[in-house]
Amino acid sequence: MGGAGVYPNWEAIYRDNVGWVYGLLFSKVGSRPDAEDLTTEVFLAALRPLRVSATVREVRSYLLATARTVLADHWRRTLGREITTLDDELFDPAVPDAATSRDRAAEADRILSDLPENYRTILRLRFLDGLTLKEAAAEMNTTVGNAKVLQHRALRAAAKVAERIGV
Amino acid sequence: MSRVGRVVEKLLAGRRLRRVRVDPDSDAELRTAILLRSARVGAGSVREEFVTSLQQRLSAELATDAAPPAPVTRRRRFVQLAATAAASIGVGVGIDRLVLAGGGVVAAGPPATPKELQPDTGAWLAVLPSSDLPEGGVRRFDLGTVTGFLRRTNGTVAAVSGICTHYPCRLVLNDTAHELECPCHRAAFSVTGAVLRHELPIQLGPLPGFEVREVDGMVEVFAPRTPGS
Repeated sequence: MGGAGVYPNWEAIYRDNVGWVYGLLFSKVGSRPDAEDLTTEVFLAALRPLRVSATVREVRSYLLATARTVLADHWRRTLGREITTLDDELFDPAVPDAATSRDRAAEADRILSDLPENYRTILRLRFLDGLTLKEAAAEMNTTVGNAKVLQHRALRAAAKVAERIGV
Repeated sequence: MSRVGRVVEKLLAGRRLRRVRVDPDSDAELRTAILLRSARVGAGSVREEFVTSLQQRLSAELATDAAPPAPVTRRRRFVQLAATAAASIGVGVGIDRLVLAGGGVVAAGPPATPKELQPDTGAWLAVLPSSDLPEGGVRRFDLGTVTGFLRRTNGTVAAVSGICTHYPCRLVLNDTAHELECPCHRAAFSVTGAVLRHELPIQLGPLPGFEVREVDGMVEVFAPRTPGS
């Protein structure tokens, strides 16, 4: 749907935007139940103030602003400070989906490719392939304890790489 | 395991994050964990089941919105909403998308008393034999389109919705405590629908009720018909 158009009704607003709102929030919290809860909060908060006569672009900007507040609240009530934020510089209301999953995969690749092989493997198995610690340990022919330590070190190293390359 | 390690494991297990104190030095690790987790194939794709249940929830919110205009206008709007929704999801018009009699906004500012759910295209549907609901008893019913809990107090049968008013999760009957519990956010309601406790940062509304009657030894609930029937 083009940015200057308008939606026929609120259900069209919802159906057209729920996907990217969820994807964006998932990329900021990393878990499905939290992303679903926050998506629920965004639409509950945004739907009433939204007028169906608003343009697509206006609707999306409003949803993004709401999502930003909802995410900030989430971090305040869990860890007490904002671990991730929603920045709007990358967000194009005309193509809201663009800034999420594909970019994330590319960023992950850049980080992983900068790590020693065993670090890269443990992170790939656990985060990208979804293996349990036990399964990952078996895959790497090591003990669960070793895998745990390796994962911890690998994540710390990955965080340093991420900071260095600015993702 | 370190605290940040536990938070990361929780994230990998797909569990909700609770309030926890984590060393700020670990923030970058947590951010990287989130980034890596969200790079998994399909990670950012929303579940259709979730999309549908939230749509029902929003429909109910809008249906209860603002001061009620003339009943005819309201009715037409709800019928239209229900029809659009039914078309988009195929089956299962939930009562959540239908009329809440009277005004009141369930989530934003809960009404003092629970409202009665009145579908606009409904019917009296038999739920269970009266003999299966003894005095003091509570029973779940599930009609496909709606789900709730029946109870008999002083001989009279009443029913409340079986869906949490915060987030569309199915409530579970705790028979011992005689209350309805939400597994999603540990909210609890009395069997009459009153909010007993919750840990949510919002005000929670009471559970709406259903119209119930007993005819020929059967308990009947006024509920929407299955679409197409």
